[in-house]
Amino acid sequence: MADTEKTTQEPTIEESLKELDSIVEKLESRDISLEDSFVLYQQGMELLRKCSGKIDTVEKKMLKISEDGELSEF
Amino acid sequence: MNSVYSVGQVNNYIKTMFQQDFLLNRISIKGEVSNCKYHTSGHIYFSLKDETGALSCVMFAGQRKGLAFSMKNGDRVVASGSVSVYERDGKYQLYAREITLEGAGLLYERYLALKKELEDMGMFAAEYKRPIPRYARTVGVVTAPTGAAVQDIRNVAGRRNPYVQLILYPALVQGEGAKESIVKGIETLDRYGVDVIIVGRGGGSIEDLWAFNEEEVARAIFNCRTPVISAVGHETDTTIADYAADLRAPTPSAAAELAVADIRLLFESLRGYREKLERTMENQLYMVRQNLKYYQTKLNYLSPENKIRESRTRLMDAEDRIQSAMKNQIFLARQNLNVYIERMKGLSPLSKLNQGFSYVEDKNQKAVTSISQVKKGDTLNIQVTDGTIKALAAEVSGRNWESERS
Repeated sequence: MADTEKTTQEPTIEESLKELDSIVEKLESRDISLEDSFVLYQQGMELLRKCSGKIDTVEKKMLKISEDGELSEF
Repeated sequence: MNSVYSVGQVNNYIKTMFQQDFLLNRISIKGEVSNCKYHTSGHIYFSLKDETGALSCVMFAGQRKGLAFSMKNGDRVVASGSVSVYERDGKYQLYAREITLEGAGLLYERYLALKKELEDMGMFAAEYKRPIPRYARTVGVVTAPTGAAVQDIRNVAGRRNPYVQLILYPALVQGEGAKESIVKGIETLDRYGVDVIIVGRGGGSIEDLWAFNEEEVARAIFNCRTPVISAVGHETDTTIADYAADLRAPTPSAAAELAVADIRLLFESLRGYREKLERTMENQLYMVRQNLKYYQTKLNYLSPENKIRESRTRLMDAEDRIQSAMKNQIFLARQNLNVYIERMKGLSPLSKLNQGFSYVEDKNQKAVTSISQVKKGDTLNIQVTDGTIKALAAEVSGRNWESERS
């Protein structure tokens, strides 16, 4: 059976990448305080960790679905 | 004796005969259109004729969907339906369900008509297009379980991201029942819940691809809550399904590329973000350190210790300068003195005494220059080069040097 659990609260990888973009942009600005830098850096690293965790690295076999939603190997 | 029947009975009898006839119930007849009348009720009355004769035809308003072009006299058409009896006139006629232009381009006419109809309904409008998720985890596929399309999709998807779950709905993609099967597939996968659905098949003739030009399929795609990528035939084939889909892929392989993000690129971009985060953080730290260094230098410069050291240096410096100035002054004074000594030497009375002159002073050591200073009997000191002679004034007499000389 495939993992069909929808992650509703957790941001998608796409959203996480967007957030990373804005974090990097803020980090690159010149008038950021060192304290804020540390906070942003930590947030960014945490997001990266979550993203990596979200990519499940189990190879999948193609499945077949019947009219009534039953799955079987194709 | 033969029985006698009413007109109604005969007409009814004949009608029953027609209806029981297998061929007449499902027949396609080709011919040229004549006497074509579009009735206000929506029914169309016309005749089909050829060299040998004519046949009355009617297409009821309810069947108008079977006519995808505007029929006119002289058109060569194929009309399909059933031949039956119109009892009121005792006439048989064709009840047409579908009329198509005979020959090439006829499916194309239907295609254009449906395309226009659905377009007018807004089914292709951009505002209904759902975005395709960039990182789909499960991808539904509606296509034939045999054939190249499913293999292409499997290969491309597997190469780009083997961790994506593909779920195939094995569908009939051409012939009888194809559109129902495709619709069922879309609905099943939509209900099951996947991130994106690919609907398509490999290339073929316009007839082979026809199921993807059916309104039912277009509607199923339109109503599907999951984003749909269409992938029908080759690049040059554009079907109604392509217009209704959220994204059109030119081929099934291309659809797989659009549906499945390349995992290596994702990993790479994650790595890129990590590096960027680290680099910017390092930059921040570097800048702060530079600032720190700057203030440190500044503070060092301003520290009391430094002030004292600096004052001491200045003091020593001043001392040096004073001393050298002093030395200089002394040297100059000595120099002057020497000059005076030399000059004084020339003026010294001693040198005069050497030449036979002497210096006379009274008892108060005052130089005697006039007789008025001396009385008879006064003691006088006569200074000569090697000592002093004490003398008593024996006499004082005046003398005028000036008048003597003249």
